[in-house]
Amino acid sequence: MLQIGSLVDGKYKILSKIGSGGMSVVYMAINEKANKTWAVKELRREGVVNYEAVRNGLIAETEILKKLHHPHLPSIVDVIEDQDSLLIVMDYVEGVSLNVNLEEYGAQPQELVIEWGKQLCDVLAYLHSRKPPIIYRDMKPGNVMLRPDGNLTLIDFGTAREFKVRNIADTTCLGTIGYAAPEQFGGQGQTDARTDIYGLGATLYHLVTGLNPSEPPYEIRPIRELDPTLSGGLEKIILKCVQKNPDDRYQSAEELMYALENYEKVDDRYRSMLKVRLASFFAVLALAIVFSFLAVGNQMLASGNQGKEYVDLIADAKTTADYETSLKTFEAAINIPDQNGQSEAYLGLIQAYKANDHLFTVDEARQLERLISENRDALLKNPKEYVDICFETGKLFWYYYAYGGIENNQVTRAKSAIEWFQEVMRYAPPDYENLAMAEVYSNVGIFYRDIQTAVTEADDKGRYKPLFDNIVQMTESIAKNENESEIVRLELLELGRSALQQYATKLKVDGVTEDEMRALLSDIRSILEDIQTTTETSTNRKEESLRHIGQTQKAIDTAFSSGKDQ
Amino acid sequence: MDFIVSASTDVGIKKTTNQDSYGAKILHTAQGKMLFAVLCDGMGGLSMGEVASATLVHAFLKWAEDSLEGLLEEPLTDDVIRAEWEALIRENNDKIKRYGKEKGVNLGTTLTAILITQDRYYIIHVGDSRAYEIRHSLRRLTEDQSLVAREIRRGNLTEEEAERDPRRSVLLQCVGVLDTVEPLMYFGKPYTNTVYMICSDGFRHQVSELELMDYLAPPKMLDEDSMQKNMNRLIQMNKERQETDNISVLTIKTYEPQVL
Repeated sequence: MLQIGSLVDGKYKILSKIGSGGMSVVYMAINEKANKTWAVKELRREGVVNYEAVRNGLIAETEILKKLHHPHLPSIVDVIEDQDSLLIVMDYVEGVSLNVNLEEYGAQPQELVIEWGKQLCDVLAYLHSRKPPIIYRDMKPGNVMLRPDGNLTLIDFGTAREFKVRNIADTTCLGTIGYAAPEQFGGQGQTDARTDIYGLGATLYHLVTGLNPSEPPYEIRPIRELDPTLSGGLEKIILKCVQKNPDDRYQSAEELMYALENYEKVDDRYRSMLKVRLASFFAVLALAIVFSFLAVGNQMLASGNQGKEYVDLIADAKTTADYETSLKTFEAAINIPDQNGQSEAYLGLIQAYKANDHLFTVDEARQLERLISENRDALLKNPKEYVDICFETGKLFWYYYAYGGIENNQVTRAKSAIEWFQEVMRYAPPDYENLAMAEVYSNVGIFYRDIQTAVTEADDKGRYKPLFDNIVQMTESIAKNENESEIVRLELLELGRSALQQYATKLKVDGVTEDEMRALLSDIRSILEDIQTTTETSTNRKEESLRHIGQTQKAIDTAFSSGKDQ
Repeated sequence: MDFIVSASTDVGIKKTTNQDSYGAKILHTAQGKMLFAVLCDGMGGLSMGEVASATLVHAFLKWAEDSLEGLLEEPLTDDVIRAEWEALIRENNDKIKRYGKEKGVNLGTTLTAILITQDRYYIIHVGDSRAYEIRHSLRRLTEDQSLVAREIRRGNLTEEEAERDPRRSVLLQCVGVLDTVEPLMYFGKPYTNTVYMICSDGFRHQVSELELMDYLAPPKMLDEDSMQKNMNRLIQMNKERQETDNISVLTIKTYEPQVL
């Protein structure tokens, strides 16, 4: 066992134990000079029956990984060996494996699964294009890490190194061999790129249905039999991936990627969506015809009528009980000629999204973004109204965007919001009331967008202090404001808390003092305790944040106690 | 009705460890003589499979020794046996799974166990070991829980194709891997002058049912010695025909003792 706090190879300071497998233990370490965190995998001679074989296997795996460079693969920097142990220093992949996500939340949202599928296609295409090609052979949710920035990392190259058919001649239970493609049982031709296509298809099936195809009843059924709301296009893609005969599958990761990018085109729902669009087009056309008749009579009157129509439609939209109708009515209002530059319908739409289910869904986001971009020129004639819409849209993304599940996508939400706050900064009049806040949001969003890459490139130093200052400001001006909505306040407090926990050491290196951190945490705690929640979701969030205060405290303790040891 | 029991195992021509385990017991009970036998085919890297199969065999033998007697104060029912054995499987499934997790390996085992009383037999079965009844003809008592067996039932493979299929050793159920095990149970009336045989899959891939009949028919199974010899001959045949797996077989001959 490595001692916590000890220095390995003069460079890597061991911070904590983060996991242990059958034969190895994994630690988190920091290279203080470069201010970068690493994972250190330790294999010890003692306690491992066939140490040499295991060691050789690990070295072989390491050799493969060392030659690979891809955003979705961990990189290995160092192999340190002495007579007692083998240490492998590699990227510290933050996040959770998709397996854990499945266990906790069951089936994952379809849009997200497709996005993941594309990322995995990308990394498979890379592996398959190496010379000689690397066949991964063990694609499954347990081997895929979901990082806090929403991107994936493929881990565990234990099977890829074998370059041969798995020996399944012995009695085996299906549950132990993952999603092995038929050709992996031997005797049915070589495994090749299409073996990974099978594994990816089975993985997508598992993710989108929550059913593990390597557990009874060991079947991959059409996904819509399990959940009729899923896409027919995705169903076809998955079934094609897992064909028994490799010739009947997609022949390359690129081909599968193309299919995933266009899954809606083979989708029945897509066709019905086109119909809806067509219908609303005709509705607008009908309105236009009515107005053009009026226009013949009196240009002035027509314009007045358009204004009245706009006001009426908004009133209708706000009062209608049916949510879908309400969205369509707001859209119809926006589509009235000459009224598309007014903010009221957009703001009403934003309010409706929030009020409906406190979520901003991917489809809703698509609608809003389309409407704003189609009418941007008209809106820009009145910058104050335009930046109001942008600021509200930014907050909508920041606090309510549902992509990937609201509980886990804090970073995705922050990232998606950036461009809207930047739009505010670009067009707002100097005295615009929300200008300073837009800048704070934008800075924090940019931090989360860039931090992963910065850490990878050891270029993150100096970024944490500004983050801290922005969070303090957000806490002061928003979280403490009792007139803000509870969702917004809770969200910001959690953002601050998790940043303290995650980055305590980094903040310290950047010069944030222990007192400053403790002051912020104590503020967060007391505000949290004061917030009176009114919904179950909010109550849960509040309790969840409070529950983690202790760990956050500990993270700060650790950051500063390790400093005293030196 | 009385019992003679005999068993034999061989590591086979290729493997270095024998991961099969078995055991049997003749029990003198308030409800007359009974025979309990169990056979497990373990799987998993290194010698891990043996851990799984031996764990389960011991658990079942211990049950026969310690718990069965207590159940006999009342007439034995199918439901009682089912409940007892399913609980044993659950408990050991968790135990083996935990062990595998600790050691970072996958291990598991099949299970075929039989209790023969004076008027009924009870079989519990997981995986692809088998139980047979041999009288004038040979009758298979268990259904394989294997991938190829499922494909046969679905009409995608014939019996002959299944024997050559590379997936022929892939199981759908086993103890020590899955969260829940779904064992099969069989009940029936035992016959006298009959041979009950349980075996691991290594014993049956390379020999035909006719050959099994030839060697294991009741008239050829007179005493422990002849039973042993016949089983060993079949094991030998399997090895000559290049069976690579561990090979294990256990036979029980039922007979009416001569009253003097």
